[in-house]
Amino acid sequence: MNETFGRFVRRRREELARGRGGYSVRKMAAMLDIQPSYISKIEREEVKPPSEETIIQMAQVLEVDQDVLLALAGKVSADLRGIIVKRPQLFADLLRQIREAPDHAILRVVREIRDGKW
Amino acid sequence: MIELRADELVFAFPEVHPGAQATVNFQRTLRIPDDGKDYPLPPGLGRFPLRHVDDFGRAVPPSWIEHGGVLLPMYQAEALWLSFQGNYLDEHEAYYRIALKIATGKINAVSGQPWRAGLHRRPQDYVVVPEQPWLDGYCVEKGIIRQFVAMPLGAGYTAEEQVTGKAEFGGLQIMAIPMKRDVFERHFPKVPTRPIVREPRSSVICFSAGGSEMGLAPGGRMRQEISEDPFDLADWDLEHASRCFIHICNSKDWQAITGEQPPTEPPTAAAYTKAGMPWFDYYSEREAVAGSKVLAGLQSVATLGRRRRKKPLPENETVKVDRVINLRPVQLKGRVREYIC
Repeated sequence: MNETFGRFVRRRREELARGRGGYSVRKMAAMLDIQPSYISKIEREEVKPPSEETIIQMAQVLEVDQDVLLALAGKVSADLRGIIVKRPQLFADLLRQIREAPDHAILRVVREIRDGKW
Repeated sequence: MIELRADELVFAFPEVHPGAQATVNFQRTLRIPDDGKDYPLPPGLGRFPLRHVDDFGRAVPPSWIEHGGVLLPMYQAEALWLSFQGNYLDEHEAYYRIALKIATGKINAVSGQPWRAGLHRRPQDYVVVPEQPWLDGYCVEKGIIRQFVAMPLGAGYTAEEQVTGKAEFGGLQIMAIPMKRDVFERHFPKVPTRPIVREPRSSVICFSAGGSEMGLAPGGRMRQEISEDPFDLADWDLEHASRCFIHICNSKDWQAITGEQPPTEPPTAAAYTKAGMPWFDYYSEREAVAGSKVLAGLQSVATLGRRRRKKPLPENETVKVDRVINLRPVQLKGRVREYIC
């Protein structure tokens, strides 16, 4: 993942602004209830990425996957942390085993609902 | 393949088309009075929790493990409706069409016929997503359904028991069949790419909202059309059908089985209406299927209860509905009956 958090936020915001308007720094700041200057600093990477809560709100406003945005900020969402902490050995082992696997192989790990005998 | 994601069944057919997908969730709702009057659509009060039956091997009946699928909790005499969402493909400016066949206790909820593979017309035994946004009950007349109401399997109220005389399966069964890829691409060819403009998401209204085996029985009457399939029967890719068995467990046993609290009981229709909350009506221009004679012949829970000198439905008084929100197909992308709390 070569893209950084600030650059991604700026690119996505500008993309939405071109598509439908209403995505100026000022308007996005109003949607998130934070200062416009803070958004500018985030985009210019003059400050560290915001809190998990703010990143999740940003993901909704920017209509992107919250886990992708959190990952760009070097974070893992609280619910995923909770899953790992509950069974750390199992998930650590699983993640290490599949870390080099291609996407299509990982997708096969997704749990399907079993169909039985009707 | 079928996945369980956030209490929703995701039917996907990546082998047919990357966008061939539809989701189904089960909405908690009010039980409308079973008094012979026709009611508008009640609201959705959030999704029922869904869990894999395989996760509770020793706590559920062996037949559930044999059937596979998922389980959800319902109180006796509680109602539900099925909410359907299609997958919108920007490059085609269209939803990928998926046909859904729905049965309770393996009795088809649209045609009243016993479960069989494939799709059929005359009578039509399935719905098409997104043309059909939801299903609240059994199609008993053109434009009228009888609400799905949970009753203990074996008590004689369920559609299955009334049609077959047996309490064998209970629960719900769903089969999804995607449209053939070449047919979809012919009906909905790709459009030249341009900046994607999604509709802003509308604000979601938030309302604060026997044995363990249950089946579904016909409850009160509701105005709801089941749309005719606007496509040809040959347009559906029957080689790629997926099916799922949804077992219904009595809510009082949910915690013992899963370790989780079941949802609270929904408000009564009278309390909800008295609080000034809205009901809904939905009109589309589409032709509706005629009701099933088999389903029209079923006795509703209240009727059967009266004949047995029992009162299976508490709080079944007639409700005068004043506040009705009219929904149109164009609104469905942004505004729907279900509320996420």
